[in-house]
Amino acid sequence: MSMTKSRRRRITTIIRYGVLGLWALLAFFPIYWIVSTSFKIDTQWFAWPPYYFPSPPTLSNYMNVWFGAEEYTQTQYAISSQKPLISLWNSTVIATVSTFLSVLFGSIIAYGVSRYRILSEARMFQLLMLRMIPPIVIVAPLSLYYSAIGLLDTRTGLILVYFLTTLPYAVWMTKSFIDEVPREVEQAAEILGASRWRTVFEIVLPLIRSGLVATFLFILILTWSEYLLALILTKTDVTTLPIELSKYQGSTEGRVYGRQAALAVGITVPLMIVGLIIRKHLARGFSFGMVRR
Amino acid sequence: MAVAAFSTHEVPAQAPTREVSRRRAIRRFKLSLLAPLIALFVFVLIPALLLQLYFSFHQWTVYLSSWWEADFVGFDLFEEVLTDPRFGWAVLRSLAFATGSTFGCFIFGFLLAYLMNRPFRGQAIFYIIFLLPMLTVPVVVAYTAEMMLYQSGPLNDIISRLSGFEFKPSWLSNPHLALMTVGLLEIWNWTPFSFIIMSAGLAAIPKEPIEAAQILGASKWRIFWEVQLPLLRPVILLALVLRFLEAMAEFPKTWALFQGGPGSATETLPVYIFMTTWQYFQISKGAAMSYIVMLMMIVIVLGAIQLLRREKRSLDTMYAPAPKAEA
Repeated sequence: MSMTKSRRRRITTIIRYGVLGLWALLAFFPIYWIVSTSFKIDTQWFAWPPYYFPSPPTLSNYMNVWFGAEEYTQTQYAISSQKPLISLWNSTVIATVSTFLSVLFGSIIAYGVSRYRILSEARMFQLLMLRMIPPIVIVAPLSLYYSAIGLLDTRTGLILVYFLTTLPYAVWMTKSFIDEVPREVEQAAEILGASRWRTVFEIVLPLIRSGLVATFLFILILTWSEYLLALILTKTDVTTLPIELSKYQGSTEGRVYGRQAALAVGITVPLMIVGLIIRKHLARGFSFGMVRR
Repeated sequence: MAVAAFSTHEVPAQAPTREVSRRRAIRRFKLSLLAPLIALFVFVLIPALLLQLYFSFHQWTVYLSSWWEADFVGFDLFEEVLTDPRFGWAVLRSLAFATGSTFGCFIFGFLLAYLMNRPFRGQAIFYIIFLLPMLTVPVVVAYTAEMMLYQSGPLNDIISRLSGFEFKPSWLSNPHLALMTVGLLEIWNWTPFSFIIMSAGLAAIPKEPIEAAQILGASKWRIFWEVQLPLLRPVILLALVLRFLEAMAEFPKTWALFQGGPGSATETLPVYIFMTTWQYFQISKGAAMSYIVMLMMIVIVLGAIQLLRREKRSLDTMYAPAPKAEA
């Protein structure tokens, strides 16, 4: 009746690999599906039975979406009004600038909190509200306000909002890094006569530079994939990639899957690269620095 | 404590005027550290909040003339929202969606983290694959779902082939399934979040109590329930609370995939506010609704913050530098 120890261990191993393998399949299959759809010709996008492999694989979706190559338009869907490259540029500028501002000023605030208590613990938690209250409740008046002061449909407008909404992450995450820096170094600098600002920029921030890079990349993930604010605060002049993606709709037959997939892969690949680079810091980022690894 | 640490090298009663000017300099320094935050509040957040307040007491839609001449209607708009059954349903849907997906994410995330807790062959690959869903853009998740979930699509096809039955639920057009479909997508998308938080938590809990229990001959099951789980409580609450709040705000997947339909099956709070404001152009009703939702969320968030503050203390002791005995 009683199992031997080695047999029990083998069963545990089988269960472990079984569960993990099943979840790995579930996690990976949709990603495989969108990648494979991006290489399919139009008759295989929405077929019954579905094509599990693109046969023959084609680059036409990529050529058409990203480079506007008309000779690859084998379908009735004419897509000429969309401008993914312009959206790519917008997304790049908006995401990097807002993330940079967020990390720069976030880390300065975090330094002040860590060393000078400029925000009490209660205030620090209230800061989280900027992130925890759904942005939908503020976005309508914000768009009217923006149109009044000329920031609607501009990169600056979106940058400011992203700056504001990602600031809690920046402050909390960089604070968790600054808290790990011993204070003796700063005290030595102060005794040697360094000004307060020099201490921040030349001693503390360089000491946590790998943490700053991790914070930067983490917030880049958030700003790169943001949808709601971009949808409402930009209309035609400035679209970001996630908004561009939702514009691909055929005139008669619903969505243009292959093209959309080619665009989606282009949006997602940079995000995955960035995310995997900082995978050790993701837990810290998403938990506002409260959980570390 | 920080300030105290800085002033230890000072001799206090030496020169009072110098001390005063130093204090003033520190105050100015502290204010300038905060300046960007204050500027954002004054120039972006507060004007928007005031406008919101204005619109929720004045009846205006885009068809009317200038918004600053709108009629004052008192609390009529709030009454309209609170007696609107669609709003009530939206609240219920949001709560159901957030609760269901939060627990889904948590159970799967915790299970995976528990199975991954000990090193084994291939762990690194599994870890990377498990992260990937979190690193896809939410709208991309929505469109991928659309490409996979049509009735004769790959998901139904695979399940039919494996089980031998005709498995053909219409994930996207059946009003009874639609909200669950978004919920499942949310779980697919964000289980990695619970997974990494729980992994970090499991890695951080001290080994001694577990080893002690093992020596005393406790079963794995008992160790899990009576040793590991209590130690993990702060991390578990964190994973639940943060996920719940994010799920309450979920918009991109729900909107891109369903636009509130079929019928009103996926009309969650963010979707309903969006439709009221940008499809029916009832700016004022949308504003009043936003205010109600904002107040509701503030209450929830304050509760959550209270919880997190309490648990953060135990988390901080968990990550406090080890006592200097070994140094």
